Amino acid sequence: MIAALLPLLHLLWGSLSLAWGRRARAIAWVALLGDVVLLGLLWPRILAGSEVRLALGGWGPGLGIAVVADKTALWFTILLVFLEGGVLSYLRRTTLAPVFFMLLHLLLGAALALLFSRDLFNIYVILELLTFVSYLLVGYERRSGQIWAGLKYLILASVGMNLYLLGVAVVYYHTGTLDLTLLSSRLPAQAPWIPLAAALLAGGIAVKAGIFLYSLWLPRAHASAPPAVSALLSGLVIKMGIVVLLRLAPIFPLRTALLVLAGLTGVAGILYAYVALDLKRILAFHTLSQIGYLLFGIGLGTPAGLLGATEYAVSHGLFKALLFLAAGTAVNATGQRAVPGLIRERHRIPRSTRLALLIGTLGIVGLPPLAGFCGKATLCADLPSAFLLALPLLFTLGTALSFSKLVPLFILSPGPSAPTGQATAYAVLGLPILLFLPAVRPLLSATEWAVALHPLPFAETIGAIVLGALAYRFFPSRRLPLPRRLFRLEEAILTLLAGVLFILVLCLVS
Amino acid sequence: MPGLDGVTIAIVLLGIGLLGLVLRRDLVMKLLSLGVVDASVILCLIALGARRQGAPPILQPSAAAPYVDPLPQALVLSAIVINFALVALALVFVMLLVERYHTTDPERIEREIAAEEEER
Amino acid sequence: MRRVSSVLAVAAVLLIVGLCAALLLLFGYDGPAAHAGAPYLDRAARDTGAANLVAGIVFDYRFYDTLFEILVFGVAVLGVRFALAQEAPSATAEPIPESRIVRISADLLFGPILLLGAYLILHGHLSPGGGFAGGTVAGTGLLLCAVALGADRVAAFLHEGLLERLEWLILFAILFVALLPTLLGLAPLTGLLPRGVVGRPASAGPVLLLNVLVGAKVFIGAWAVIYAFSRHRGEI
Repeated sequence: MIAALLPLLHLLWGSLSLAWGRRARAIAWVALLGDVVLLGLLWPRILAGSEVRLALGGWGPGLGIAVVADKTALWFTILLVFLEGGVLSYLRRTTLAPVFFMLLHLLLGAALALLFSRDLFNIYVILELLTFVSYLLVGYERRSGQIWAGLKYLILASVGMNLYLLGVAVVYYHTGTLDLTLLSSRLPAQAPWIPLAAALLAGGIAVKAGIFLYSLWLPRAHASAPPAVSALLSGLVIKMGIVVLLRLAPIFPLRTALLVLAGLTGVAGILYAYVALDLKRILAFHTLSQIGYLLFGIGLGTPAGLLGATEYAVSHGLFKALLFLAAGTAVNATGQRAVPGLIRERHRIPRSTRLALLIGTLGIVGLPPLAGFCGKATLCADLPSAFLLALPLLFTLGTALSFSKLVPLFILSPGPSAPTGQATAYAVLGLPILLFLPAVRPLLSATEWAVALHPLPFAETIGAIVLGALAYRFFPSRRLPLPRRLFRLEEAILTLLAGVLFILVLCLVS
Repeated sequence: MPGLDGVTIAIVLLGIGLLGLVLRRDLVMKLLSLGVVDASVILCLIALGARRQGAPPILQPSAAAPYVDPLPQALVLSAIVINFALVALALVFVMLLVERYHTTDPERIEREIAAEEEER
Repeated sequence: MRRVSSVLAVAAVLLIVGLCAALLLLFGYDGPAAHAGAPYLDRAARDTGAANLVAGIVFDYRFYDTLFEILVFGVAVLGVRFALAQEAPSATAEPIPESRIVRISADLLFGPILLLGAYLILHGHLSPGGGFAGGTVAGTGLLLCAVALGADRVAAFLHEGLLERLEWLILFAILFVALLPTLLGLAPLTGLLPRGVVGRPASAGPVLLLNVLVGAKVFIGAWAVIYAFSRHRGEI
């Protein structure tokens, strides 16, 4: 019952915020408290059994919709609560219309509903709600760049969701059900329509999940949105696409496709981030590349891989949100968007912001024993072949290479004080990153779900980081001949269609 | 293999809509093409649940023919509302952009926005 | 350069769509499915009390979906209002030309249109229609009035503020209907009202109530969107 209550309550808070505009901020804090309490009640029940299922309306699986809370959902709910707290404290001193709070509550409510959903069409409706709410949040300040980025996002997401709906139609036609748990028992082992359905479903979700060829709207949209919105989008909304892939991967033959896409998006994201100079755009490109780790874990299909993907998704949400919030303050304090300018004016950036950037960078690069390292270690715990280790290590190297240009910003000389609430926000997001290994992980590892932490030996990860930083000394940012035309609207749609075909071919092969 | 049929028409419409979306140089025409794509997917959903000479799924005491599948029709109801919302929201931002730049050509808008960002 | 990439784009789209079509038709599709509708056709009328099986699915079996769909509609109306709130009404908007024919037809037709909308809403559980269809019909009736009388006159008559408050009230009411059975221990989301006898006007439990609420919401929302767009029309 709590699983159904959590999203519906947020919808209630949202409507209340609109009706009672002056108290919207207080309502938001009450909502956060409510979430923590309900989560505390839900937690023991999930850890005791393996999942909690509620059939809405009392209808059985073939007839109605069920909400299912399992451990994956639990991990992401924790991420959501931390992000909620962080974003609310960050925005303490910003004047916001009640509409913003309504959109925020809708975003959180929709994300919660998606986590507990196991029905293909339900997923479609919730994802469309998320698309519209993100679209409005990206264009909230109504600057032309934001409006244009939001429009491209909306058009691409709609094409993707339409393809997804076609996939749903094919699945329903052949199996007569939309419920994922029923589907896994009704799906024939081999049938000619399965690769087509899988390609349509995965290709549609890929637009929202932040994979390179499909989410070409992402760099522009995440870079131009207001900082709190970027934090939520990169930290939470993208993960919703990954959650759907997590649910689909065990049922459809997507593993080869996901592994190939993992390599593609990881490398492409790093290359574009290496070349970029605008800080927020670098962070947005890194979102694309970090999704590579998640696809790698899902593509492996082992329990360690899936758990690692979930763990890393949560960690990434935390440090990407932290980075975006800090970057937003830095850009506002200095008036500079590009990294060289920020380095020049770093004395104007508050010290807490620079510390936050440092913690976020250490997390994303994967320094042990921080959050990022734990996720990567779990991912690599059970590899079928030792050669596959090269991929995550390559990503670590590339990330270190790309983030090395930020090093001069980390010098913690005194600076002006940050606006109220921002330091709290950094703490809310930063502490779980720092204390991930001793505090967060044990909370969630019940006995049969734990994968013992098989760390890549600390040496290998640190080696990759150091190598990346050294490589930066010899290859500071260069202009690489990377295709820029891909990010325009028409080309992005064509690459999306080509991408669906690509997944289709890979599914046929596997 | 069936002949001219809802599903075939839906796929043809999908192709037309996607072509319009990619080739048209006008934001409003792109939105219209997106509407065509939406319509094609809706048609595909309904057609996949239909029956030759089926009756609409309204319970009637004197039903001669078997009923058509009601589930795709319920799904389509949601899909139509979502498409309406999509067109309304997209049109709003298009209107804002057109009022600022006095053109519906996406390339010109892209160039003007890039120029503005360079200045800042 | 443009010519080349257009040809390429057309070729790419045709190739992709053609391939998917071929796969779908050759390997997947054999005409109507044998099992189409299997679980619903037998039990829907008994379970939900609605003669219109689609309404039974939308407002009873799959009400969770419909809840989010209503929110999507609400977000659309919200977004339109919010994005256009701070823009001044368009300076290049020409007034709609006066026409006697339109005026007289509007006078004659407005009543029947509203009546049709009300019928669709109230009989949604017995015949095709429902809240969404009925609300849209009634909303476009208002559009007809706006074309005949002028959008600003109609808007003045309708009090924007009152309409906004009514929208929130309806959203609260819908959430209330959804949450109350869950909290009272009845069947979650839809157990609020008794099902009644199939085919009677007062049957189908929550379906009728929800149809009315949704119809009102769509009516108000459609008018809000139409009015916002008409204020900002103009030339490029």
